[in-house]
Amino acid sequence: MADERVVVAFDQHSPDYKAGFPEIGHPMRSKCPVAWSEENGGYWVVTGRELIGQLAKRPDLLSNDHDPTGKRRGYRGITIPAPEGRTTRGGFLEMDPPEQLEYRRVLNPFLSPAAIERWRPMVSELSEACLDEVVESGELDFVDDLANVVPAVLTMGLLGLPLLDWVHYCEPAHATVYTPPQSPDYPRVIDLSIQMAFRLAGELERVKADPRPGMVGALVEAQRADPETFNDEDLVGTLLLLIGGGFDTTTALTSHALHWLDTRPGERRRLLEEPGLLDTATEEFVRFATPAQGGGRTITTDCEVGGHRFGAGDRVWMAYGLANHDPDAFFDPDEIVLDRFPNRHAAFGLGVHRCIGSNLARMSFKTMVVEALRRVPDYRVRQDGVVRYEDIGTINGYRHLPASFTPGRRQGPPLDEVIGRWQRTLDGEQA
Amino acid sequence: MRVRVDPDVCQGHTLCALAAPEVFLLREEDGHSYVVGEEVPPSMEEAVRKAVATCPEGAISIEG
Repeated sequence: MADERVVVAFDQHSPDYKAGFPEIGHPMRSKCPVAWSEENGGYWVVTGRELIGQLAKRPDLLSNDHDPTGKRRGYRGITIPAPEGRTTRGGFLEMDPPEQLEYRRVLNPFLSPAAIERWRPMVSELSEACLDEVVESGELDFVDDLANVVPAVLTMGLLGLPLLDWVHYCEPAHATVYTPPQSPDYPRVIDLSIQMAFRLAGELERVKADPRPGMVGALVEAQRADPETFNDEDLVGTLLLLIGGGFDTTTALTSHALHWLDTRPGERRRLLEEPGLLDTATEEFVRFATPAQGGGRTITTDCEVGGHRFGAGDRVWMAYGLANHDPDAFFDPDEIVLDRFPNRHAAFGLGVHRCIGSNLARMSFKTMVVEALRRVPDYRVRQDGVVRYEDIGTINGYRHLPASFTPGRRQGPPLDEVIGRWQRTLDGEQA
Repeated sequence: MRVRVDPDVCQGHTLCALAAPEVFLLREEDGHSYVVGEEVPPSMEEAVRKAVATCPEGAISIEG
């Protein structure tokens, strides 16, 4: 059979992608919902919402496995291109079922709708305290002062690590995502991420010696029962994954929403006043921005899905961000429609690797945005200071989103005091 | 009232479990929804109706 593939010039890490998202997907998709790019060693790019759903529901045909030493099939994980020299796996996101499911079983109870509710008061107080820190000055950076802080402290809480340690993980968690390999800063960032892995390995040992509640404690307990599946290396990989997923994605989502709302005071009021609008708006911001833009897969066997042929060993990039702008699935796909319904977005991924923390992300996003709209209601973004990630192909995020507003009055204690009080509350619950 | 989730239609948005966590649970494998029991206690009927209304896939059906 003749090779009928549609070949496109495409690289999600390129400046063209950043400048062209989301429109860059339209000409590709109109030719075919899956196209072939010769970049990054050659890979399929899936941009059609229907096809991406069909593929994601076939874990028998797709592998997330990262196996650089060739112990299994030599697959190259979820990053395209595969990172040079990284021999460890990115936690359970670079595993396949049934191994991957073992990890999710341990972690799911921490992220159920009921489980996340108990964190809501802390998220609310943290958001208030973050804004209190800056409200008297009339200036803030929504990234540095709010959206980087709240998800990070919250993630520490879920892991069961010291809350104030969020500062040690914050820069490496974001910088490893936004710094491209050709950047002069890259060696420093790699160094930071190695230090972060060492720190987590140290925490793991501490929790082994002195068990405590939280995700780290649960993983350590799982290791006792099954030391092979829950080996130290994959536990550290999993902690890095949870920190990456917990810190960086919600930050990106919050920044996108607050940036979009900059010039729309009427929409800000609607979000605060119309019941239910915040719920649909949250799904819409998630769809529009798609913080985690996509993920790499490896085809395990020659197959045909949705009328498209794939070969064993082919690399595939599930372009969730582009699929979320498919006009066949979404009317006016490049517009933000706060009450869009139904909204069948794939921004949390689909299938067995779907985001494990989506309910937590929604809760902390909504809390931060509502608090920002209440406390700095007339903010205006300082456009000259806005810095998006240099490379948005992994996470579509912002490094800086500075804004000015009419100064207000501090209403509560300093942030570190609030964090300290919550630490004592959590410690008390464990005693 | 009786409630069902069509497993072939559900895509795991998890919004029903946020609307009515006592009625809808999420599968370990992929976060897709299933019901605790098809019979809905009267006190939870309103939450279930909200869950039906928030499902973007139209995967939840109620009777009675």
